Amino acid sequence: MASEAVAHESEHHAPPPKVDADVVARELIATTTNASVRFKAIAWTLGILGVIGIVALILKWVNDGDDSTKWGYVATIVSFLLAVCGGAPMVAMAPVMAKANWVRPVTRLAALFSFGSVVTIIMLIPLVALLPPLVTEGARRRSIWFEAPDYAPHIWSVVGLLLLALTGIMLFYSAAIPDFASMRDHATGWRQRLGKRLARGWVGTDVQWRTLRMRIGMFGTFYFLILVFVTFLISTDYGQSVIPGSRDAIYPMSLTISSFQGGVAALVIALYFARKWMGLEKFVHLDAFWSLSRLLFALTLLWVYFFYSSFIVFWYGRSANDIATLDLLIRGPMIYAFIAGAILIWFVPWWILIWNRVRRGTSAMVVGSFIILIGLLLDRARYFVSAWSVPQDQIHQKWLKVVPETYFPNIYDILIMVGAISLAAVIIMLMTRVIPVLSVWQVQEFNLLSKPIRYVRGHATLVAKPD
Amino acid sequence: MTTSILGLFQQPEPAADAMDGLKEAGFELGTFDVLTGTPYPEGAFGEHVPQHRLFRFPAFGAIIGFTLSIFLTAVTQLAYPLVTGGKPILSIFAMLIIMYEMTMLAGVIATVIGIIFESRLPNLKPGVYDTRITEGWIGVVITFDDDAKVSEAESVLNKAGALEIKHA
Amino acid sequence: MQQRRELDQVYTNRKLLNGQLDTPKWWAPTVTILGIGVVIGLFVIATMINKGLGVTGLGRPVYWGLFITTFVFWVGISHAGIMISAILRLTQAEWRRPVTRAAELLTVFSLLTALVFPLIHAGRPWRIAYWILPYDVARGIYPNIRSPLIMDPVAISTYLTGSTLFLYVALLPDLGNLRDRTTGWKNAMYTVLALGWRGNPRQWKMQTVGGILLSALMLPIFVSVHSIVSWDFAVASAVEGWHSTIFAPYFVIGAVHSGVSAVVTMMALMRWLWGWDDFIRPEHFDALARLLIVVATGWLGFTFLELIFALYGQDAPEIALREMQILTWPWNMLFIIFLLTGYLIPVPMWLFKRVRTNIALMFWTSILVNIGMWLERFLIIVPGLARRTPFVYTWEAYRPSAVEWTILIWSFAWVTLLMLLFSRFFPLVPLFEQKESQVFTDDVMIGRAKVPAIVREAE
Repeated sequence: MASEAVAHESEHHAPPPKVDADVVARELIATTTNASVRFKAIAWTLGILGVIGIVALILKWVNDGDDSTKWGYVATIVSFLLAVCGGAPMVAMAPVMAKANWVRPVTRLAALFSFGSVVTIIMLIPLVALLPPLVTEGARRRSIWFEAPDYAPHIWSVVGLLLLALTGIMLFYSAAIPDFASMRDHATGWRQRLGKRLARGWVGTDVQWRTLRMRIGMFGTFYFLILVFVTFLISTDYGQSVIPGSRDAIYPMSLTISSFQGGVAALVIALYFARKWMGLEKFVHLDAFWSLSRLLFALTLLWVYFFYSSFIVFWYGRSANDIATLDLLIRGPMIYAFIAGAILIWFVPWWILIWNRVRRGTSAMVVGSFIILIGLLLDRARYFVSAWSVPQDQIHQKWLKVVPETYFPNIYDILIMVGAISLAAVIIMLMTRVIPVLSVWQVQEFNLLSKPIRYVRGHATLVAKPD
Repeated sequence: MTTSILGLFQQPEPAADAMDGLKEAGFELGTFDVLTGTPYPEGAFGEHVPQHRLFRFPAFGAIIGFTLSIFLTAVTQLAYPLVTGGKPILSIFAMLIIMYEMTMLAGVIATVIGIIFESRLPNLKPGVYDTRITEGWIGVVITFDDDAKVSEAESVLNKAGALEIKHA
Repeated sequence: MQQRRELDQVYTNRKLLNGQLDTPKWWAPTVTILGIGVVIGLFVIATMINKGLGVTGLGRPVYWGLFITTFVFWVGISHAGIMISAILRLTQAEWRRPVTRAAELLTVFSLLTALVFPLIHAGRPWRIAYWILPYDVARGIYPNIRSPLIMDPVAISTYLTGSTLFLYVALLPDLGNLRDRTTGWKNAMYTVLALGWRGNPRQWKMQTVGGILLSALMLPIFVSVHSIVSWDFAVASAVEGWHSTIFAPYFVIGAVHSGVSAVVTMMALMRWLWGWDDFIRPEHFDALARLLIVVATGWLGFTFLELIFALYGQDAPEIALREMQILTWPWNMLFIIFLLTGYLIPVPMWLFKRVRTNIALMFWTSILVNIGMWLERFLIIVPGLARRTPFVYTWEAYRPSAVEWTILIWSFAWVTLLMLLFSRFFPLVPLFEQKESQVFTDDVMIGRAKVPAIVREAE
């Protein structure tokens, strides 16, 4: 079989030109230092917005700290950030599981999203304080905690989120050790010192590589399990259990699926700008976008499947619980948010991503991803704002007797939401100053494992699949 | 009269040589083709890459299925209005399920028709063929409108190292 | 692990067409025995239709018993085909190649079998026409499309039609192959069926592009079918344990779990019976078992959610039902067997590569899974109906009769017989995929290491 490597013609989906390993290391490490003016301007703006958001959060606490019905948008942003910053790193463990070559260069960026989880934790703090204990005035509300102590949801949601952030960072770090070693060898100044400290004597022996892969697999699996668990906790303790009568077994899974969807969408956006503005075209193959787009398409369809599976059961059931739940979450005051959310998270991206031509490009993909994120935010707002709008003296009822008026965001809520997203974004941006945005060793590995070949008269790529 | 000849090769490389030779000898694209017992990477023989319109078939089928499903669910329910389970006569959320299934069914049927049509099947007069092609041999088949170029094609095939040439 | 070996096409033809070109010795006696079993089963069904459903153990309040359980079970098994063949095609998994045909076939035959159960369960099967077929009747009523019992036949017939067509399209190249290897009436048959297949680039391209397109279309159907089956139960708010929003994905993932296990069972049998050691290799079992670990664990997660949200509401009837289902004899015994066979025994075993590549162990563990999955359906359907409530005048427990058990056993004989009959005329392993795999794989040298590699076409 002919497998002679040749220079590939400039086809649309041709792999990027073969780059030598030392060039990869040098150029990627250089990206940590040469921030453009635009990068700095954006980072400063986001940083300032982030600080304003935190101040707004404190002011809101001072003003509305005694009225839980006004905190729906903070709950929304918690679940939104949990989705985006929690979901994106899932892509970082994919290569270990599926042995997909395209994903190797983008795992670092995916793992960096874990640092954004810090903002999720900050935003959760007031909610923990506002969430009522399981038993109030002798009545125990519906929850997953059955006979557990009164403050079980408060404690475990915080522990869960901390654990998630920590595991995410460990997942990032365990895959970053060889890159820290590269920084030790090639960077200068504090980056070199940091690399030396964090590389922990990495020289790249066979044993070290094997341990590395094992660690990535292990933290990746833990990360996945913890993410599912935390999403389960947040969706029940801060969503379902504050709605009287609501019992929706699929909702934790719906949130998990849409969190992958949000994570992948955010990753596409980040990858697009990183590639374009940091000049990474020769390291990030268009194939990565194509594969991410297929993933995104599947997840988009799964959203509507999970939604419908839950909706149809309520719609047919018509028990008092079922009707009240639909009235509050869909038919009630949030109907427009629901429709807009469904259109943006499912319908529009579905019609954008169904076209092969779109999925092979990058621009329409990015637009689609932005739309998905807006839809995700609306969808979360629809649920969590409705849930939190129920006064706390009613949440022990068997079902919701009266649908409460919804709460519209005031200036604080808007500043908090914008600030939280900005803060998470700027943290991720700043991390790219600390470590290359693409994993040096994985880009090298990508190049090693795939090479363009001539197959008799045709062109093809030979992708090696090591065990 | 249309005739065709078939050159048989055991390896892809000489078959590709034959295809190159035919192109150089000025045979029109589409008059010669390669026959294999297994798919090869596209363009492996420098063959004419066929254009197809397969993607239109499911879209077309889905539109038909969707239209039929509206008829089946909405129109008939209105024609025989009978309230069951306290649900409205036009229960959109129940109808959606049937509409979905019928749309997909018509889409699949149209796709299968599309695959068969775009494969140019059924092919009632397959022409010159050799059963060894499904045993790994590679056939290069050339179709002529006049017999004048037969010997030229034969010489191209022979030059590329054809193990056997069949006529029909 | 690298077990790929160079196999020339003549050898591949000879080995993989051994069922069609020279019938194995065990084939005729096995088919005869199964045939006798099937006839006995049909006789029992006929008797039941003649005498009425009184010969079963069904009765109020347990009006859905073994038949409906087995219906859900076979629909579940049918999910193997598209799961394996479509998802693996879309993800370009190389190890799918020997598996796809058998899996698609299992889909078709198990769906055919599944359809029998609601039909005979109706007692007077011909009357089903009144509630399924949309024809104008003098009564002035029309099939109620709001009923899940209408959605069900619509979904299943869509799936059955789709997967049969899918199977046929993917069979075309192999029919061409059989045409080239046969003479006489068989040759005539294959010539007609192959539609004049030649194997030119256009036809191969349609196989590839069409296969991917059909996979993408079949996947949403596959998900919808078991979801709709689950809504037969979930939309009924009157039965505790059924009215849960999780049912649709829970049923789908459970179906994938049992379906993929059934494919493992079948692959092992194919390897043993036809001696296809070169084609169905331990690496394929390894890959299937890895997939199963993920699927089974996901399924366990859904089981957990289903259970926890049943108790979440803290309603007395629901808690009473779960107490009965999990803690009361004999349900608790069934529940324990279900957990052990569905997850706790097979999955920990699959964690070891030695088990994953041991074909006998894979065979037996995959059978265990399907025992567990059958029990799962039974434990979902029956206890919800069998729980004693004040306004039901009979409190007799449901006891499946010999008739029901016979028909259950008949369904297995029937599916096996259909498979064996099919194997007499059509290859169970797609030959062209097997050959394509030889073309599209190669080894690359990285340093001194020989690494298996796959040729990906330039887009």
